[in-house]
Amino acid sequence: MNAFENAAPADGLTRRRGLLVPALILLLVFAALPALLAGFDKGYFYQIANLALIFVLLSASMHLVTGVAGLLHLGHAAFYGVGAYTAALLTSKLGLGFTVTLPLSGLVAALVAFLVALPTMRLVSIYFAVATLAIGQMLYLVMLNWVDFTKGPNGVIVSKGFELFGFSLSGRLGAYYTVAAVVTLSVIAIGRLSHSYYGNALRSIREDDQCADAMGVSTVRLKMEAFTLSAFFAGIAGSLWAHMTGYISPGDFKFSESILILAMVVVGGLGSLPGAVIGALLLILLPEGLRALGDFRNIMVGLVMFLSILLLPKGLLGEVSALRLVRRQLGAAWRNTGPANGKGEGIGWR
Amino acid sequence: MTHLLEIRNVSRRFGGVQAVGDVTAHVNEGELVGLIGPNGAGKTTLFNLISGFTPLSGGTVAFAGRTISGLKPNQVARLGISRTFQNLRVFPNMSVFDNVSVGAVGALPQGAFGALFGGLHRSGRDRSAEISRRTWEALEAVGLTHVAAELAANLPYGQRKYLEIARALAMRPRFLILDEPAAGLNDTETRDLAAFIKRLHGQGLTVMLVEHDMTLVMGICQRILVLASGRKIADGTPDAIRTDAAVLEAYLGVDE
Repeated sequence: MNAFENAAPADGLTRRRGLLVPALILLLVFAALPALLAGFDKGYFYQIANLALIFVLLSASMHLVTGVAGLLHLGHAAFYGVGAYTAALLTSKLGLGFTVTLPLSGLVAALVAFLVALPTMRLVSIYFAVATLAIGQMLYLVMLNWVDFTKGPNGVIVSKGFELFGFSLSGRLGAYYTVAAVVTLSVIAIGRLSHSYYGNALRSIREDDQCADAMGVSTVRLKMEAFTLSAFFAGIAGSLWAHMTGYISPGDFKFSESILILAMVVVGGLGSLPGAVIGALLLILLPEGLRALGDFRNIMVGLVMFLSILLLPKGLLGEVSALRLVRRQLGAAWRNTGPANGKGEGIGWR
Repeated sequence: MTHLLEIRNVSRRFGGVQAVGDVTAHVNEGELVGLIGPNGAGKTTLFNLISGFTPLSGGTVAFAGRTISGLKPNQVARLGISRTFQNLRVFPNMSVFDNVSVGAVGALPQGAFGALFGGLHRSGRDRSAEISRRTWEALEAVGLTHVAAELAANLPYGQRKYLEIARALAMRPRFLILDEPAAGLNDTETRDLAAFIKRLHGQGLTVMLVEHDMTLVMGICQRILVLASGRKIADGTPDAIRTDAAVLEAYLGVDE
């Protein structure tokens, strides 16, 4: 620790640390849960756990663009698809492995997002939403109809499972650990982006973009960045999906998937990263848990979504509570010892 | 000597309406200037032309010797011109601290890379500490540190006014433009605000304010610009403005 580390940035603010909650979450994801999965030793449970994690990443990445930057994004699943197809085609056509396809999936999805964002970023509110809807449909139709390249509705078989620099990770537990590690790192990265002064600048665009502009925030550039970064993480999720299932088809990335991801973000709480994670877990695990109810389960899922929005319009864990939680428990903020409160509630971002 | 702000033959038309016509004016470093005029005189439009919100139809604006007409609002802001809004624009769903931090991060940008990896190296940590420090100082300047963790939407009207000023101050501007800061405040609050603006000016900040409240403007400004129907009709000390025939005519009307 150098001298600066211990110095207060101004009277009333000092550093704070919180490591207990993150340690518990990591313990759950990397020890307790895999132990349980190994104990049951059912492929189906592994599938559900991996699927839930992939949707956690999709939901978290949409949280960045829709929850934080406030851009209603109706085509997120298409970038998930671009990532998945990048991984699948690199594997089937060039024989590349997961180590290479993972970053490339993210980068290709980000590149596509950047290109389509160039003309659309000046659009606002509902017009932006309709533009993303059109982009999503366009990309979906390319996957469906460019048969020579994507094999169209037949889909693509992904012959390689997970590996790291040639070291195979394709057993059930290996696959789980791979997905869990990639998703965890990505969610931490998204957390850094949304729980920082950069995130505050994004939030200011959501609140009042003209006013943010007058405060020196480059609104167009930041919107592009949020959109592109969120597509990058959706692409990463796509690569995980492709290598996990071994087979992808355009149906995995259609409009209804975008809406499902949007529902996760809204049910969890717009602007809340923990909320986005909770929303994804709920909307993936609930339908699986209700399998015994047969077709009736879809009505139940709809009912849960409807009631949660009706009773908790700010989400299961709304932005205000989520930020307080992050500041208190994750050491992401300064401890406020000034006149605001002697309790040392977290404030600002480190 | 060059002026801090130099407005030369500036005009702006909205369709058939000449909102601002051929206005030439300047503000010197360290001045406290008032901009007054009857409703619809073009005061806010002139502010928007300076801060880059509205493109000019003609003329130029220069700040600190550099032409700023044509720049985007965020570019103008980063050069050191900071503003508040007539109809009070805070970020309602952000805390008071986070609101003000936007001004600080606007002047001292933290990019995506800085947010991702800033914690890992010293310059990144220094940057966010500096943003926090500037935010806290701006809150101290307006006396809002005790509500720093509150949601901006929960503040009473008067405090939201100061929040907006704190957000502008967190940018550490060279030139502060206040658009009707006293609107909606009672007499006591207006007096406090006048004292506060004088104090800011006393610390060396150049300030320009648009105001309807004559006592406020006459009381604290060193020089007053008067607009009427988009044109500058007077420019002088409060005493000179009080007796200026053109100003009296614009405000009171004159018998035909």
